[in-house]
Amino acid sequence: MRMFLGRRMATSFIAGLALVASAAPAAAPIVSAQSEVPSSIVLGINLSFTGADAADAANIRDGALMAIDEINAQGGIAGQVMIQPLLKDDGTVAAGQYDPAQAATNTKQFVAEDDVMAVVGPMMSGAGKAMAPIASAADLLLITPSSTNPDITDPTFASQYRPNGKPIYFRTVTTDAYQGPYMANYAAETLGIKSVYILDDTGAYGEGIANSFEGQAKAKGVNVLGHDKLNPKESDYTTILTKIKAMNPDALYYGGVQQAGLKLAKQANDVMPNLPKMGGDGMYGVAFPQDAGPAAENWFATIAAPDTIDEPVAQDWVARYQAKFGASPQDYALTMYDAVMVVNDTVSRLISDGMPITRENVRDYAQQTNLPTLQGVISFDANGDLKDKIISVFQVKDGKYQYKGSAPQT
Amino acid sequence: MNPDVAVFLQQLINGLSLGMMYALLALGFTMVYGIIELINFAHFNVFMASTFFGLWFLAFLGYGRNAAPLSGITLAVVFVGAFAVTMLSAGVLGALIERVCLKPLRGISGTAPMITTIGVSLILQSLILYATNFANNVPFPSLIPNERWSVLGSTVEITLKNVLLWTAAIVLMVILDYFVRRTWLGKAMRATAQDSEAARMMGIRIDVIILLTFFIGSALAGAAALIFGVYYGLTSYIVGYLAGLRAFTAAVLGGIGNIPGAVLGGLVIGFVESLSGQFIGNSWSDVVIFSILILVLVFRPNGLVGMQRPQRA
Repeated sequence: MRMFLGRRMATSFIAGLALVASAAPAAAPIVSAQSEVPSSIVLGINLSFTGADAADAANIRDGALMAIDEINAQGGIAGQVMIQPLLKDDGTVAAGQYDPAQAATNTKQFVAEDDVMAVVGPMMSGAGKAMAPIASAADLLLITPSSTNPDITDPTFASQYRPNGKPIYFRTVTTDAYQGPYMANYAAETLGIKSVYILDDTGAYGEGIANSFEGQAKAKGVNVLGHDKLNPKESDYTTILTKIKAMNPDALYYGGVQQAGLKLAKQANDVMPNLPKMGGDGMYGVAFPQDAGPAAENWFATIAAPDTIDEPVAQDWVARYQAKFGASPQDYALTMYDAVMVVNDTVSRLISDGMPITRENVRDYAQQTNLPTLQGVISFDANGDLKDKIISVFQVKDGKYQYKGSAPQT
Repeated sequence: MNPDVAVFLQQLINGLSLGMMYALLALGFTMVYGIIELINFAHFNVFMASTFFGLWFLAFLGYGRNAAPLSGITLAVVFVGAFAVTMLSAGVLGALIERVCLKPLRGISGTAPMITTIGVSLILQSLILYATNFANNVPFPSLIPNERWSVLGSTVEITLKNVLLWTAAIVLMVILDYFVRRTWLGKAMRATAQDSEAARMMGIRIDVIILLTFFIGSALAGAAALIFGVYYGLTSYIVGYLAGLRAFTAAVLGGIGNIPGAVLGGLVIGFVESLSGQFIGNSWSDVVIFSILILVLVFRPNGLVGMQRPQRA
């Protein structure tokens, strides 16, 4: 953490210099230098290192660092362009989790630094909503390994999240437009649930996924007994849980991240130990089964990607990760690795076409990605969303996420 | 039993537990205000820091986050010990804050001492954040067995956690009441609250009394903190703010400076929170709580019980 703070201070200094420099007319691109390939580019990494999601942020970060190290060990992208990571933290002490204002500040700093050609991250949709418009104005490519709120890439909200027109928010996971509804399918079809109570944590991600779950649950004929909101800074959820218990639902669905989720799991285990409880990828995290202990048992969680790390094809990758970092990766560490690989592939196609490496070109070429990875072929639709839409379901058993299969698509 | 009645009773039980916690916390605000007319915002985070003191003490005893529940004598001994240590360390922290940060400002009028307590509060929060390596939602060991009893054969349940919490809170309040009303130091405290100049002339060492007040108020926050950690099974560096704000509201509601008023205010806030969560909506609890505060301040500016000087301590 200390390393990042130092780095951040250095960055603000550089960002300040860059601002001064960009004010001068000399900053205009030099035409003759177009075909020259720089010896390195900077890749921004923006995650939520402070607060409730810190453990997952570190796990995901290591996926990116591993990819960068592997690329640099081969002499860089296409054997010529080294990648320099630039880490930024959008979590703040005051928020206790991701902070949209900090995410916006980080994005402005990335934009101000001329060598930043792309950013991988953010982790959280609430941060993504703050970052997208700023990145759009600079044509800066963002590739998120885990933020799943559909609004950011939805053309309906284009004026809000991509005012410059072109999509800049790409994902190596699919969205909550599928994650919530497919889990509703799983609840109704596979678990045979007839009634459900829904809670969310008032965040961009939490509200979005809870609403999409609710819509599909109703379409499936599941009786939605209510949908209430949890203040993530509140300590006491026993009141709302007592109310839910009296309604006697078949299951509880929670849309949100760990800050409220962990407290909810602990108290729900006191009030209704036997009720099936479900969440999205906000409840899929390295720390959750450890911190909640017995209260985490039997919780369902989903991720917006295939469960690749349990597949035989990924075992070599998992072993490399474990050897390097001494910890087991999550699926979102792999989608982060893939995000860096998309940048790698994009820049190497630019180099082989003799195109200059600029933010505009990186964005345009990323759009045409067709890259085989461990999770499958990554290619993007016209909005930057992944063409493959697979939702994996897990259940916590004995302190570990056990893969239950992919959720039904209808 | 009618299910609506059952859920109402269950919410009363929840509200009583919340209310006891707010009451213990409100006592610290009200006692300090009674003595030196200072709203001590550091109290928020003395409470928060104390949750960690309790957690660290339990970890020191070997009860980590995955410790198995205890029973019988072991449970009693560990809990009495944890209360003693947490309250003592919280009290020392409170006294330290008074001595280092507030005593030099004694006699300065205006908002300087209050602003100082806000600063101390922020410093405490940051220190805890560093001490816990930026962790959020730190789990408490679940040492109390998850035992529960049905009331009159209905669906209403009282848990062992509830019973221990109520017992601890009531015992502490009875001790405090005895101390304030029946002991020599308590008498000195009440005398200081009524008229510190006259008390000084009678030979009471005001500085000692103020220090003692901070110690006791903070120790009660320490008790509330341990109860909080055990009850919710988690703590975090942000828990001081909301709990502290509601406890402060409770103190104002009861009439700030008034000890029985703080207990009454705490219970009212606890019941309002749980019942409004049930019947109005979870998201509206704070709106209801603070609306009641405004109504009380408009129609009974001295609080429900009032701030009559002779009762102040």
